[in-house]
Amino acid sequence: MNERNHLARQGEGKLYEELSRSNLVTTKAWYRAAGILFAVTAGAAGVFFYMMATGIGVTGLSRPVMWGTMIILFVFWIGLSHSGTLISAILRITRAGWRAPVLRGAEAMTVFALMVGGLFPLMHLGRNWRFYYMIPYPNDRLLWPNFRSPLLWDMVAIGTYLTGSILFLYFGMIPDLAVARDFSTGWRKKLYTILAAGFRGTHSEWRRYHVASTLFAVLIIPVAVSVHSIVSWDFAMAMVPGWHSTIFAPYFVAGAIYSGIAGVITVMAFLRRVFRLENFLTERHFDNLGKLLLTMTLVWGYFYFAEFLTTWYSRLPEDWALISSYGGHFLPLFILMLTCNFLIPLPALCLSKVRRSVPAILAVSLVVNVGMLAERALIVVPSLARRNDPSIWLNYFPTWVEISFIVGSITLFSLLYVIFAKLFPVMAISDIKEHLFRTTDRAVGGAVVPSVAEEDEGEGK
Amino acid sequence: MSGEGRMVVIGLFDSVEGAAAGARSLLALPLPADRVTTISSVALPDGAVVHDPRPIRFPWIVVLFWFVGAVFGAGLTLYSYLVYPMITAGKPIATVPPTIIVTYEMAMLGALLSTLVAAFVSIGLARIRRKKVYDPRIHDGRIAVCAAVEPGDQARRAADALMERGGTSIRTEEGEL
Repeated sequence: MNERNHLARQGEGKLYEELSRSNLVTTKAWYRAAGILFAVTAGAAGVFFYMMATGIGVTGLSRPVMWGTMIILFVFWIGLSHSGTLISAILRITRAGWRAPVLRGAEAMTVFALMVGGLFPLMHLGRNWRFYYMIPYPNDRLLWPNFRSPLLWDMVAIGTYLTGSILFLYFGMIPDLAVARDFSTGWRKKLYTILAAGFRGTHSEWRRYHVASTLFAVLIIPVAVSVHSIVSWDFAMAMVPGWHSTIFAPYFVAGAIYSGIAGVITVMAFLRRVFRLENFLTERHFDNLGKLLLTMTLVWGYFYFAEFLTTWYSRLPEDWALISSYGGHFLPLFILMLTCNFLIPLPALCLSKVRRSVPAILAVSLVVNVGMLAERALIVVPSLARRNDPSIWLNYFPTWVEISFIVGSITLFSLLYVIFAKLFPVMAISDIKEHLFRTTDRAVGGAVVPSVAEEDEGEGK
Repeated sequence: MSGEGRMVVIGLFDSVEGAAAGARSLLALPLPADRVTTISSVALPDGAVVHDPRPIRFPWIVVLFWFVGAVFGAGLTLYSYLVYPMITAGKPIATVPPTIIVTYEMAMLGALLSTLVAAFVSIGLARIRRKKVYDPRIHDGRIAVCAAVEPGDQARRAADALMERGGTSIRTEEGEL
């Protein structure tokens, strides 16, 4: 109601000004934030070049732990990317009335998280300059990529998901770019004119735009699910204790949606605070996202319990050695994961006071993200550190090089988001306007409630 | 939509109801439904002001390109198996599960890319050489009712019809709907 009443008081020009404050006003704080993020990211890039020059031995990787922080970060960021486009697509298809202010930020999160996540397999290659060996291209030595390798499936799947997510984000922005084109001047007007591609808003354009938007949403959902399934098969296809599990694909997808929703809440809370969008991103939005997060807490908990119980009950020696390490060397990581992913979020999210308080739910979402990073680490490292042969067991600690990658990935993601927020509307203006247009206040007994008008839009109608 | 030498009459309305009355009077002239449309900053329900009689068929193009992508993906993997026959863990050279995965991803990529291109073509975006009528005042909440008309008498009658129904800033200009 707050959002609707606020919007109802605005002229449309005012509405644009308010929703595009991030584009129209460049404050000193923006330069400071962008500068700091750029400096830290550049530092991490420098460390990467140091690793390239020195060799991958500067990391904590060693036999048998050949996968470490870079693969943990890869899985984490790909997981984080999961919910943005997925949430947006599901909310679009189901026409959830509260979706409008959440869409753009979530879609952008997916694109940037994918960009960051996709870097890590390339960084992990060792001979990074030969990354193009993963791309199928004709060459005179008749060398072709091995499509039987799950790492190549990653390349194909992430490439498809990134392309699809960028198209989904861009296509969803076209009407807003048309608004920005009409309200801006100078180089921005030129940029928006090109990107809006001549969209005007005729009746025919809107109808076709909606059909295409729905198509994008319908197509992107199975792609999103397949991407994280394929990431899980990087592990599950290997005959390594703890990885070779049939439940891995749905478990990874559930975990990805879980961390992704926490990521969306984090991004929304920051956007709300930084760009003063309190009238648009209301407590109701955080309440609804909190309910989604609560659902995923339970789903993730169920998956984890199911997998853990099966392993514990069968007590196969190679699997039991792995589970035992959770009570030994990896105990702090295990406690951190369990606390952050289940013990804190479950009771907290059951309370509507927590869900409706932005600082509280932001804190919960940050806790979940920490927990999911720990969970990714628990998937990757102990299985390798406790492989079948006890004589090669080894523990793993990330070095300063890898810690700088963790920090650098967070700052790179934030930097991309800060630049995006500077150039493009972070709110789906046309969706918000449409929501307002289709919602009218209606008296029901003694109360006034928003009533939503719907219509059947079908292909060929 | 407008043919050679055709003009477009544009009138602005403050409300959906006014715009609907304006559109009805244009159709009563009579003008065919595919020559009357609105320009608005939000999507209006079909039939609220005008009705779009043209069917939307481009999703079939997307379906077609889904299959094109699938064939490309399957072809790429099978071809790479044959030109670089690497035996891995005693498995067959051409294995089905990896082929399915690459085929699926390429099919989805084909569908996604074709959605963008087909939508652009269907909507008529990125056609920069054609002059299309427009009014940025739609972003102040107004609705433009437009009609493609023949210059002369028909254009005059269309402008009068819009004015009678409360249209403002009525003008006739060259261009397309």
